Amino acid sequence: MKNKFNFLLLDFAISSIFRRGSKNIFIFFVFTLLIFLLSSVLFISNSIKSELDTTLNALPDITVQRLQAGRAINIPTSRINKLLAIDGVKAVIPRVWGYYYFANAGVNFSVVGIDKFDDQYKDLYAKLCDKFDFDKLQDKKSMIVGKGVQKILKSNFYNGYFNFIKPDGSLEKLTIAGVFSDDTKLESNDVILLPMEKARDIFGMSKNEAVDFVIKVPNPVEIPNIAKKIRLLYPDCRVITKEDLSISYQNIFDYKSGLFLALFIISAFTFFMIIYDKASGISSDEKKEIGILKAVGWTIDDVLKEKFYEAFVISFISFITALSLAIFYVYFLNAPLLKNIFIGYSSLKPEFDLPFAFDFQTFAIIFFLTVPIYIAATIIPSWKTASLNADEVMR
Amino acid sequence: MMIELKNVTKEFKVGTHDKITALKNVNIHIKKGEVVLLKGPSGSGKSTILSLIAALNKPTSGEVIVDGKRVSKMADNFTSLFRREHIGFIFQKFNLIPTLSAKENVIVPLIPSNPDQEKLNNRLRELFGQFSIKSKMNVIVKNLSGGEQQRVAIARALINNPRIIIADEPTANLDEKLSLEFIKIMRNLKNSNSSIVIASHDPLFFNLDFIDRQIDIHNGAII
Amino acid sequence: MLLTPEIITILTLDFIFAFFGLIAFIISINIVRKWNLNSTTPTQYKLEKQSFLVATIIKYIFIIKLPLFLFFIFTADKLSDIITGAMCAAGVVSSVSFGTSMFVYKILNLYLFGFWLVLNHYDLKKENQPYTRYKFMLYVLGFFLLSIEIYYDISFFTSLDVSKLVSCCGTIFSAASSSSISFIFSINKIYFVYLFYISFTFVLLSYLFKNSIAIFVSNFIYIFIAIISLIMFFGTYIYQLPTHHCPFCLLQKNYYYIGYILYVALYAGTFYGISGAIMSKLEHKPQKFYYNISIIFDIIYALIVSAYPIVYFLRNGVWL
Ligand SMILES: Nc1ncnc2c1ncn2[C@@H]1O[C@H](COP(=O)(O)OP(=O)(O)O)[C@@H](O)[C@H]1O
Ligand SMILES: [Mg+2]
Repeated sequence: MKNKFNFLLLDFAISSIFRRGSKNIFIFFVFTLLIFLLSSVLFISNSIKSELDTTLNALPDITVQRLQAGRAINIPTSRINKLLAIDGVKAVIPRVWGYYYFANAGVNFSVVGIDKFDDQYKDLYAKLCDKFDFDKLQDKKSMIVGKGVQKILKSNFYNGYFNFIKPDGSLEKLTIAGVFSDDTKLESNDVILLPMEKARDIFGMSKNEAVDFVIKVPNPVEIPNIAKKIRLLYPDCRVITKEDLSISYQNIFDYKSGLFLALFIISAFTFFMIIYDKASGISSDEKKEIGILKAVGWTIDDVLKEKFYEAFVISFISFITALSLAIFYVYFLNAPLLKNIFIGYSSLKPEFDLPFAFDFQTFAIIFFLTVPIYIAATIIPSWKTASLNADEVMR
Repeated sequence: MMIELKNVTKEFKVGTHDKITALKNVNIHIKKGEVVLLKGPSGSGKSTILSLIAALNKPTSGEVIVDGKRVSKMADNFTSLFRREHIGFIFQKFNLIPTLSAKENVIVPLIPSNPDQEKLNNRLRELFGQFSIKSKMNVIVKNLSGGEQQRVAIARALINNPRIIIADEPTANLDEKLSLEFIKIMRNLKNSNSSIVIASHDPLFFNLDFIDRQIDIHNGAII
Repeated sequence: MLLTPEIITILTLDFIFAFFGLIAFIISINIVRKWNLNSTTPTQYKLEKQSFLVATIIKYIFIIKLPLFLFFIFTADKLSDIITGAMCAAGVVSSVSFGTSMFVYKILNLYLFGFWLVLNHYDLKKENQPYTRYKFMLYVLGFFLLSIEIYYDISFFTSLDVSKLVSCCGTIFSAASSSSISFIFSINKIYFVYLFYISFTFVLLSYLFKNSIAIFVSNFIYIFIAIISLIMFFGTYIYQLPTHHCPFCLLQKNYYYIGYILYVALYAGTFYGISGAIMSKLEHKPQKFYYNISIIFDIIYALIVSAYPIVYFLRNGVWL
């Protein structure tokens, strides 16, 4: 404020960087790599998070499971009427769903039973109900599958159909009547939609059972109250609200990216040491130069300021470069390699695009986790350089 | 500006135990505007005296007082400020930054004080014109000849309009013609009211008309 | 314990601060004990050089701390999404017993470290370096405060619990709460308006008369009165809700992040006022540069907070 910005000093710092090119290029590369890794991980996790948020929004208001010995068991559909009688409940939808292990490919498919006459607990399924005629599906013994499922089946020579093995060992052949894709790709990639009856057949369930109930409550304020009532009504049931789920998802997620950051801290520490080492190695030329600067009237503070400008310029350029690279890598190339490590669920999952999700906060995190570390690593070496004696020039 | 060395002794540590006594009880008094030649054989302590005046070094005992200020007791950053304001030092080995251009070298002393760009350019033109190296302004210093390098070094020493000009063996790396040239430049500077201290054992300097006083140094003492 | 990227960021920087702060602390102790500008011993020369390392470290910590403090509030604000019951940073911070003192330490340190740099600046202006010993004593104190702050940070983040139900700002900043400030909610709002403008007038007058003690006192009082009147009166106009008293919610996007501007102005104004006043006393000469910056920011703060009720009145024709 008191003085205008010293462009001459900035100029000198920039020329200084270039005059000690090889050392600074090395620092630039290492630093850029570090920022690139960090921002890529954060970008990917942000994207997945926003995918998850979309998924979470589509979650049922209340899910009711029945427990026995701490494990979820099937729930009789006869309970539906009593639940419907609770004030504020708009609909109770029995669900039949589960995982089907396809041994040849070593993957799990999510099998979801759909009943045309029931309310659909997901907009997506409702849309599909309109699009494909489920009555016909039933007759023709067919199913609708996600893109990922289709791909896996194809690679195992199931062209247009699949043989489910039922619990009693008999086969159930279903043909693929349609393939769907959706914007929540993360979640619906491995899904197989079947008529409810077929799903019960495949899982070996009886006609008056469901896996769980999904309850629709139009007024979100009512949700906790209704959940409480259901718990009283059926003490053997676990009642999960949307909010419970979203918190636990959120936690798992933060924990996962937390682990990555912990790894990052280790690499940041390594980086700190590398910079410290590089910055400490003062060549005799540089020693002489500092001697000259101090002999012609630079104070320790001036030299420190110049060193800080150098560090700032390098970090600024690295920062911009790394950020642009990371944006390109994550959002244009769809983060090959890194994405897989990050998601790591079933091998079906990787087929999805990362939606663009970038906010100020991520920017702040990337900044605070990189630039201060770099500057910190240069504090002591810069000070050592700056306090060299001016009589260096007399030798 | 007045320069005073009072009872100055300077020892240099060599290795862990030995020490060299470079100066022994030296007393010098240089008046404002005076041109003084320090002469004496190599190793007699001339450079050491210059570095003490410029506060590049501190005496082991005794005091160095410039313009009433005890530069021998100043902290490191104040000695820098003192040099920035008052001293123009022409070093024996020029001490230019070899990878910078002539112009960049000359402005180095002024960078920390963030001078006005326009004033700076005027001063640069003036100096480079005065030493007829205008065409070399943007040439990297290591590609200049010895004589040109020295003129750049002189320009750098004068950029801050110093009240004390110090030259250490200025002709050591020059041939006779260039040495005479240098002497001419020094003669012109005499009128600028600055004190000038030259250390040299080059006979060319002996008994020059513009030199007010010659001080003979031998083995760290004045004779 | 939560391990969000934000928390890891803050803890990493805390670690760096602790490490470098400790180095500076050790040097400071040495300087306080052995500093003698007249001595020509190698020890003294070494200390002179090391004093620059300390200054550099403190500069580093301070410059990063300023934006990091805002980031801290931002993070607390964001955690309110995950923590049950919390609506903004207030709920998150008050979810631990030492939340308030943690905040006080953070703010105190910002003033202290900033003032250290001012003192350092003056110290290096004069050859006899008159403040050297004091500034290093001050840092010894500063290091203790910094350590406490870091300790609080760590305990804060390790004790955050997503499943624990915390209060939202609506209950913390109300007469019903059991907190120490709850009694003021029973006082008529209008008194806080008087109080604020009296305090602001005091700031203006002390500036006009350039009296260092008055400037010190007026700015010091201004910090507290400004915050209390913001909670009690001006904030309600920012939210346009007579019952919303939170000093944190105004940092959120819904209110165009106005809180950041307000708090930065308040900090800058009072910081320059207080530092300038102390330096004027020490230098026996009014430090006009500091006073000018101080008054500009103090006025900016007053103008912004005043604008809210006035605009509200002009639009609606009534007060809240
Ligand atoms: N930095 C130093 N370390 C050790 N000895 C030195 C140093 N500088 C100068 N000397 C010694 O001090 C004596 C005086 O040197 P100097 O002042 O350079 O002489 P001159 O300039 O007259 O040739 C010489 O013996 C030299 O070796
Ligand atoms: Mg010599």
